[in-house]
Amino acid sequence: MKYFIKVLWAEAVKQHRNYFNNWMIYISLFVWPLLSFLSAYYSYSSFNVDGTLISYINGNNILVFLMLGYMAMSFFRSVVQSAWNFSRERQSGTLEYIYLSTANRLAVLMGNALSSVFESSIVMLIFGLLIVFSNRASINVNTISLLVVIFIFIIMALLWGVFLNACFLYSRDTDFLFTILEEPMEIFSGVKVPIVIFPAWAKIISFIFPLTYALEAIRQVMLNGASLQAVSTILFVCLGIIMVLLFATLITIVVVEKHMRKTGNVVLF
Amino acid sequence: MIEVKNLKKTYDVKRRDGLFKSHRETIEAVKDISMRIDAGQIVGLLGINGAGKTTTIKMLTTLIEPTSGTYSFDGMDAIVHPAEVKKQINMIAGGERMIYWRLSAYENLWYYGQLYGIDNSVLKQRIENLLKMVGLQDKANLPVETFSKGMKQRLQIARGLINDPKYIFLDEPTIGLDAVVTRELHDEIKSLAKVKEKGILLTSHYLSEVEELCDYIYLVNNGELIVEGTKKDLTDFVFLRNQYVFSTKGMDKNVYNGLKRHVRNVDNDAEILFENGKAMITSNVELSTILAGFAIQESLTIVELHKMEPSLEQAMIKLSKDMKKEAEREILYKSLVG
Repeated sequence: MKYFIKVLWAEAVKQHRNYFNNWMIYISLFVWPLLSFLSAYYSYSSFNVDGTLISYINGNNILVFLMLGYMAMSFFRSVVQSAWNFSRERQSGTLEYIYLSTANRLAVLMGNALSSVFESSIVMLIFGLLIVFSNRASINVNTISLLVVIFIFIIMALLWGVFLNACFLYSRDTDFLFTILEEPMEIFSGVKVPIVIFPAWAKIISFIFPLTYALEAIRQVMLNGASLQAVSTILFVCLGIIMVLLFATLITIVVVEKHMRKTGNVVLF
Repeated sequence: MIEVKNLKKTYDVKRRDGLFKSHRETIEAVKDISMRIDAGQIVGLLGINGAGKTTTIKMLTTLIEPTSGTYSFDGMDAIVHPAEVKKQINMIAGGERMIYWRLSAYENLWYYGQLYGIDNSVLKQRIENLLKMVGLQDKANLPVETFSKGMKQRLQIARGLINDPKYIFLDEPTIGLDAVVTRELHDEIKSLAKVKEKGILLTSHYLSEVEELCDYIYLVNNGELIVEGTKKDLTDFVFLRNQYVFSTKGMDKNVYNGLKRHVRNVDNDAEILFENGKAMITSNVELSTILAGFAIQESLTIVELHKMEPSLEQAMIKLSKDMKKEAEREILYKSLVG
């Protein structure tokens, strides 16, 4: 376990030094989600949202509703980007040395995701917390539920990142995953529009993304004051997803390494 | 001891025939290679580009799985237990990739040290020693992107020693480096084998490098082992004999005959040809001073005197010719006997 943590920490530190070496990077990662958030908020402002199908959305908390969506999205988006970035290690040849070492592959991928989850989202997180705090009168938080949900949310985001990292390592031709997962996740996970009002086909797509469940749980406990019991179904689904992601990642890591040893593609780019 | 027998690697690759058509093809990167590396020994793997050197090294480092053949690592089956092998090996490749340019030299070594789970206090001491060994102790905290090519290569060497490996695989480590840096790296490689008892496999396509460093040499071409032996065994047909071009002012048949006698006094087996007013001499003996001495003795002005460096390509052509002649002799012998 000590070795696992050493590798995880080293990878997180390396990613920090390698990619986040200028404060402008933090700002640039914040600007696009901010613009997208503002665009969504002013779109909603044109309509009267009171009395919608969603019990916990009203004219007072729509700003927080959207902010929670974009905060959660920034965590999940950051790991997709980090997975894409990690596949560049193949080009730089450093991936070969990682595979040459005895380091636990899961620890390496987790360290990469860990660094990305927090560093890519930190400015958005601070901004979001300020928005939520300044609109505290419009929210109804169940603190215990929130702590549990945040813990599960972070684990989910990390594992989603680790799983994608493993997938991106399969070959140099997996970049298409970035296109598939980046924008559709924002559209179908209910970041801007609650999935309840989606047509059936769109709901089916939304169920693919772990963010859908994590986001619903967060909104329930922050806007609706939902107890753990009230969100237990979603939480069980989230725990199920965590288990599936973990097993899928472990299997993918083994398959990827076997594939690389067979095809020699660890050095192809 | 590392011992591989009949190592083979084939790839199933897709080949495009047009915009929409493609077919699959099997490529034999390595056809049949058997070799052995002992601790404290520098073994050379020599071959032109595409000979199968890098694929062989990747199989020995367990990064690539052989299609067939056996690989014994200190008595253990390395194909079955790659993780155990990884603990005791490392690889150093030539070029400027494979290190993090935005990290400092110290940070690079720290990161790779953590990947091997080395205890922090041991790692700190080891990084300091390695940086000192490769002469980068004063640049430890500078980003690698500010380093020269030679400094990056020296950092690669330090990185390759971070886990104190028993065996080191050097894949063309001096490619693109100038003579001074190459000389320093050669000294470091020799010291690793002779002082620190590391088993080293060195791939190169520089004849002189292999000749200087290696105790035992394997020559590969088209994924197959062509010849193996010590430097002494291979001198005639791999490293070739010394070749000189010599000409003087007014060099005619008389001067040429005098030169022939002069050289033959030193080396009776020397081959001497007279072409376009120049003497072309091939000998096992170092003749530069002998030839210069001849010019002084005969009061001749030297127009040209230079020693030609044998190239790997020349050696390969000679070997191919020798092998072809050998095969023809065998066919003739069989037809006569049969």
